[in-house]
Amino acid sequence: MSDQIMSVKNLNFYYQGDVHAVKNISLDIKKNQVTALIGPSGCGKTTFLRCFNRMHDLYPGHRYEGEILFEGGNLLERKDITELRSRIGMVFQKPTPFPMSIFDNIAYGLKLKGIKNRAELTDRVEQALKQAALWDEAKDRLKQSANGLSGGQQQRLVLARALAVEPDVLLFDEPTSALDPISTSKIEELMVKLKQEVSILIVTHNMQQAARISDQTAFMYMGELIECDQTDMMFTNPKEKLTEEYITGRFG
Amino acid sequence: MNNMTEIDKRKIINVVALSFSCAAATLGLFWLTFILADVLRHGFTYITPELFLNEAAPPGMAGGGLKHAFIGQLLVTFFAILIGVPLGILGGTYLAEYGRHRRIGRFISTLSDIMISVPSIVIGTFVYAIFVKPIGHFSGFAGSLALAIIMIPVVLRTTEEMIFLVPWEIREAAFALGAPYYKVILQIVYRGAATGIFTGILLAIARIAGETAPLLFTSFNNMFLTTNMNEPMPSLTVTIYQYAMGPYDDWHEMAWAASFVVTLFILGLTIMGRLIIRWKYKN
Repeated sequence: MSDQIMSVKNLNFYYQGDVHAVKNISLDIKKNQVTALIGPSGCGKTTFLRCFNRMHDLYPGHRYEGEILFEGGNLLERKDITELRSRIGMVFQKPTPFPMSIFDNIAYGLKLKGIKNRAELTDRVEQALKQAALWDEAKDRLKQSANGLSGGQQQRLVLARALAVEPDVLLFDEPTSALDPISTSKIEELMVKLKQEVSILIVTHNMQQAARISDQTAFMYMGELIECDQTDMMFTNPKEKLTEEYITGRFG
Repeated sequence: MNNMTEIDKRKIINVVALSFSCAAATLGLFWLTFILADVLRHGFTYITPELFLNEAAPPGMAGGGLKHAFIGQLLVTFFAILIGVPLGILGGTYLAEYGRHRRIGRFISTLSDIMISVPSIVIGTFVYAIFVKPIGHFSGFAGSLALAIIMIPVVLRTTEEMIFLVPWEIREAAFALGAPYYKVILQIVYRGAATGIFTGILLAIARIAGETAPLLFTSFNNMFLTTNMNEPMPSLTVTIYQYAMGPYDDWHEMAWAASFVVTLFILGLTIMGRLIIRWKYKN
């Protein structure tokens, strides 16, 4: 049993106009494991995920209640959002390469952290691209625009960009829903490999994906956490009737 | 039977509508090519080295040129760009980023759409009233200001639209790496929108390069070469207007030649702008 890296305690989240999107969730995120968040559309899993890197801070009228404990403090009260976001990276649904070269994409987060030394940048870009299994395809075109890569390559580029700053946690928001099956399996393989270095939290609509790659699975419905357990337990022997109905495809 | 006549009726309406729109397009194109061909044909024959190298000669004396007007035009345009482009870009950035969901943002957008279609002579008289009248004399700066006012809404709206085309997700991805908003705008949004904004600037310059009316009341004209922007400034467009109205044949010739240069310049800028747009959307 590995210990937890983050611990959510009675988390509530409200959007503008007091829309209660995350309802009293408590959950431990285990270190060096993949935690999958599943649930029907609109159940609040993405909203929940975006609490961990304080993405909601961009928009007016939001409100957090409760705690997410990380590194001995409540990250919802941290002031150094830049530092926090370099510890907790995020990969989005659609690939989001920046309009610049492949090298500059990966180096972007490093430069934000104040790393200017060219040799160090080069090293860490190479390392990140290798981690994301993109090095062989990209090493001869580091100076070319990242927009020239295919969708699957772009998603691995974005992953490399997130990895370059050496985060402790990676958040994935349906990272493969815009990708073809081969690219999807590449990303999945990577996630399984990467959990030795980072803890992973992934929102997915694809239950097979959750079953394939995650160690623990949390099922959300209407903003509430219905059940959270070891993934094999969840998919073979769920305790809640609602969970069973969802994973057997009877709704959602 | 009834059905057939219905279809026939539609076909007839179609033919009529098609003929009218074709006729309208032909009419428009005819005058456009006529004007262009006329300017190019007349203008080209009067292009001489003296036109660019000499200043105006006294009426009746041969060998006059328009060097003063070319330089004046460049100076007035240059300062107009210096005022108009930064303001337009910054304003457009505000509208597309900070003012994105605010009512004031949409209000300013609509207002600048209206500004784009304000007759330029109105802007000329406006600058006359707030600038020329108080300082008591025509000045190059006043001309630049008038042209800048014409430029600002064009640059502002293009910037806004081009910045809007940069997907919101890309900004979120940058925020997720810990970037503050100003860095996201400077390092990512502007990069994504750069060609579009540049094209907008080119088209805005093309728009002001042919303006006469706003300069009549502001920089006025000057028969002598000057680089002092605080004096009345010669410009090609106003010179064309004066020379074309004047009684001398060589004035008419130089007006043709100047028209040729202005037309070619604007045509070039516009084509360049379009090519950049096309090149951008091909990639």
